[in-house]
Amino acid sequence: MTDWLGMTPNPRAPRPELRAQVLARAVRPRAGRRRWVWRAAAAVLLLAALGGAGYWARGTILALSAERDRLAAELAAVRDTLGFVRGPATRIAWVPVTTNGRLGGVTIFADSAARRWLVRCEGMAPNEPNETYQIWFVTAEGLKRAAVMTMDEEQATVMAMAFDVPDDVGPVTGAAMSIEPRAGGSTEPRGPIVFHLRL
Amino acid sequence: MTQPKRLSQEDERTLVRRLKARQEGALAELYDVLAPWVFGLASRILRDDAEAEEVLGDVFVQVWGRIHQHEPGRGPLVPWVLSIARNRALDTLRRRRRWWRKADRWGAAQRLEDDGAVPAPDPAEAAVPGWPVHQEVHAALAALPADQRRVVLLAYFEGLTHSEIARRTGQPLGTVKTRLRIAHGKLAEALKHVKDWLR
Repeated sequence: MTDWLGMTPNPRAPRPELRAQVLARAVRPRAGRRRWVWRAAAAVLLLAALGGAGYWARGTILALSAERDRLAAELAAVRDTLGFVRGPATRIAWVPVTTNGRLGGVTIFADSAARRWLVRCEGMAPNEPNETYQIWFVTAEGLKRAAVMTMDEEQATVMAMAFDVPDDVGPVTGAAMSIEPRAGGSTEPRGPIVFHLRL
Repeated sequence: MTQPKRLSQEDERTLVRRLKARQEGALAELYDVLAPWVFGLASRILRDDAEAEEVLGDVFVQVWGRIHQHEPGRGPLVPWVLSIARNRALDTLRRRRRWWRKADRWGAAQRLEDDGAVPAPDPAEAAVPGWPVHQEVHAALAALPADQRRVVLLAYFEGLTHSEIARRTGQPLGTVKTRLRIAHGKLAEALKHVKDWLR
């Protein structure tokens, strides 16, 4: 129990002019409370503004990151294409094709050093629902599977695809395209040949 | 300012009722009888008149704003107000300690009273309501052995914890606790008859 100890120090009369100030301040605490409310409101607004700015910045950063990734992918694709075009071991061949009465063309960039191909098809007729275009490597051992390029009704008329020449495929002397069943293509050409080309 | 009248227990209860009824005149009366004690206590703890005046203002703002929290059944009004004053002053003291401002002046004053001496009552203030209680508290404190008095004053006026007192005095923690317990028991016994604080 220490209640009495507050009476230990000698009483000291405060400055007389303090009385009016203290009493006025005591009975008008609302101003202080209002100031506190305003400070709290300002703090809340500041936090809300910071939160909003943070949310906006986060959204912007995410959008910019996605855009950067998209541009990086496009740039990589362009560099890849340019690599084909500029490669000293790249041969370029173009062959006109007629599919379902429609005249189109196929351009092949074949890099024999890197063993990579880029094939671009243009103006070709869409495949039937159960069919697909299949590209073949022409080798001394016959035609070997290269890639399947399906063209649907809603697809753009230009289609490009890059792919590697597998190690078990010997020297490639040409290219061919046939129409095969859509489910995974065929191991050897059975459908109608679209073109057959020597490189 | 005319000398405030002394308050009996009944006067004090009436004053509390008027304060709870938001009568500003009651706060002025309370200021007149308690301001010297609050200011004296704050000055004793802080050793700085400007800060003690600030505490004085804070105390009466708090008394006016929280008078509804005062329950007469749990104790008289005076120790309740003085406990507010002590807590406010100790808060200020702790803030100041953190800042280490005015450390030299505070330290010098502290060294003067570190031996647990109690300043003698100032006869010039003898007309202040509460003076008899002040003298009785002094007498009860003076009757304590110096070691017990010192730990009581360190705990009350500097707000030190038991461990801090043990470090300050170089005494074992158990000794400090025992001295405090015995000292508070003696004070309670010596001052149990105190009813009218402001007689």
